Amino acid sequence: MARAALDRFTYWYPRASAPALRDVTFSIEGGLNVVAGPSGGGKSTLLRVFNGLVPHFHGGQMSGRAEVSGRSIVDTPTRRLARDVGFVFQDPELQTVYATVDREVAFGLENAAVPGAEIPARVEEALEEAGITQLAGRTMRTLSGGERQRVALASALAMRPQLVVLDEPTSQLDPEGAALVLAAARRIASQGRTVIVSEHRLYALMGAADQLVMVEDGRVSLTDPRAWSEPRFTPPPSRGAPAGNEVVCVSGAAAGFDGRPVLSEVELVVRGGEVVALMGPNGGGKTTLLRLVAGLLAPAKGRVERQPGRIAYLPQNPAALLHRPTVRYEVRFTIDRSGDSEKPDAILSELGLTQVADRYPRDLSSGERQRAAVAAVLAGTPTLVLLDEPTRGMDASAREALVRLIARLRDREAAVVIATHDAELRAAVADRVLMVAGGRVTAATNEAMRR
Amino acid sequence: MAAWSAACLFIVLFTTNPAYKAAVLAAAIVTLAAGAGLSRIRRLLFAIALVAAFAALLNFVSAHLGATVLFSLPSSIPALGGPFTLEALVFGLTGGLTIAAAILAAAPFSLMLSAHDVVDALPRVLSRSGAAIAASLNLVPEVAATFVQVSEAQRMRGWRPRGPRSWAEVVVPVVLTSVEGSIQLAESMEARGFGSGPRTYVSRPRMHGSDWLVTAASIAAVALFAVSSAAGWAAPWFAYPTLIAPQVDGRPLIACLLLLAPVLVWRARR
Repeated sequence: MARAALDRFTYWYPRASAPALRDVTFSIEGGLNVVAGPSGGGKSTLLRVFNGLVPHFHGGQMSGRAEVSGRSIVDTPTRRLARDVGFVFQDPELQTVYATVDREVAFGLENAAVPGAEIPARVEEALEEAGITQLAGRTMRTLSGGERQRVALASALAMRPQLVVLDEPTSQLDPEGAALVLAAARRIASQGRTVIVSEHRLYALMGAADQLVMVEDGRVSLTDPRAWSEPRFTPPPSRGAPAGNEVVCVSGAAAGFDGRPVLSEVELVVRGGEVVALMGPNGGGKTTLLRLVAGLLAPAKGRVERQPGRIAYLPQNPAALLHRPTVRYEVRFTIDRSGDSEKPDAILSELGLTQVADRYPRDLSSGERQRAAVAAVLAGTPTLVLLDEPTRGMDASAREALVRLIARLRDREAAVVIATHDAELRAAVADRVLMVAGGRVTAATNEAMRR
Repeated sequence: MAAWSAACLFIVLFTTNPAYKAAVLAAAIVTLAAGAGLSRIRRLLFAIALVAAFAALLNFVSAHLGATVLFSLPSSIPALGGPFTLEALVFGLTGGLTIAAAILAAAPFSLMLSAHDVVDALPRVLSRSGAAIAASLNLVPEVAATFVQVSEAQRMRGWRPRGPRSWAEVVVPVVLTSVEGSIQLAESMEARGFGSGPRTYVSRPRMHGSDWLVTAASIAAVALFAVSSAAGWAAPWFAYPTLIAPQVDGRPLIACLLLLAPVLVWRARR
């Protein structure tokens, strides 16, 4: 019997004009199944079918059949399917219930009414399976994103599910955290459980994948993972001209927040037409440096001087900005405020958003939202561009579009500073790479960049 | 600690006698200093002193009652005109004393216990609500972080706070993001079987001998003070019309001193 099977399954979200999944027929037997496809294609919707969140939590209409471990998902509520299907979501911050690791992992077991005396052993077993026994007893808020996501994985595994579903589990993580989560997913699959993982960083999984499930425009097709090859990415041509005037000059600056020093003795000059990438571990001070350069944070010591002109600042969670009726309105808002004459459609087309320009931004998939927020912030002709992890959750084509957009802004003499973990983005556009770690800003070594 | 807080509040709100109110206040300060550390409560004490001083001043300038007139302002001055009396000042100070003692009695819930400890201690019948509350508490820092991010990013897009309507540019995205965050959390809880039936617990906060001792001392304090009041040992006090010194009896004072039980228990435990 297949672990999960869909037969002519079609699903519409409430009030949607088109189905999110169309006539899907396929089955999953076991091993590691990788779900891939462009943003907004239906990956997250498909994954939510396996534990019944679609349709039980989200509502809407469906036709066809869907079964998990022989149970019909229509007849079985999600809270019952939870005993067979473990689910890990994208954002590690938004799936935490309790304050400590042990209590968090025990939450599902408490819900399943596992006797209290048995729970500690089951928690220990799950922490071991997720490779995080060292986190036992820790407080959740002291954990990094990667650690939190592995706690979420342990919470799912504690129920001893036969099927484990991970929905873009690494989209919010730095490379080290992502590698640990994906290694745990591979290990679980090798231990005989069925794992379904949706992911943009396919190269990290394809070597171990048993099945590649492509989802595009709500349709599903199966591919042999051995036939997969990494998409070729052509970086834009370099500027070919020396950098222009100083746009930002930071000298001897120190900064921090909540009384905690984060950066000290920062020296940084960025010129017009130059792209500087910041790399370094989470918590190293990259975001603090961007906020200092933007003028959102006053230096505790030293000076920050900026050339007059508009600053385009993309925060880590840019989708939080979106609240206007359409994507086009969001872009127009920035353009109107900055006094530019650019038409919103230009940047929307550049980022592949023309099709969704008249939709409410919060109705879009997470990848499309990210692009909408990028468009809303980078529209017009900013003098200084500050981007904080701009490729989070972006698929390959969206990243390529972003790279072209950055190159265009650079060619218009904008000074660009990007805080990013994305090695490909750095390689494609950065003129210089700086390491921000331990409160200091230094030139990144080749060894650090290879990591 | 809930029993201790309740006992402090009972005595402070039940009696009008400032001597017993002051005794409870002293017991609360000593207990909090022993449990949370003096450095952590220093700011709280300062804030409470300000509130108490304000309450005293308000009564002094607004209640022109009492026999002992300190000075007078012409009655033609609106609101302030009239005699300023010692009785009004002392009654105001007693009010401030009550506010200070009541705030400090409730302070252990924020200073010495985590919200999750309190939620875990809820009775079994409230376990589902407790889990939901615990989950919501985790969203609070998220909302605060979103507010900072959105207001900064909107500033960089040219937004400036100009009147209440302009705040919609920040408040609306923060509210929408928070609602979406709670929906995602609910989805995650549902996916982990929340609401599928009666729950069990990996561990419940257990009452140790010292906890029972503090509870017993708190109950004894309430009982002794109630008996003292009924028997007339804890005499009431009135500031008006003429100020008199409060009477102090050993028995209700012992009731107040029983509120120092947590300090003794913690010392013995060390």
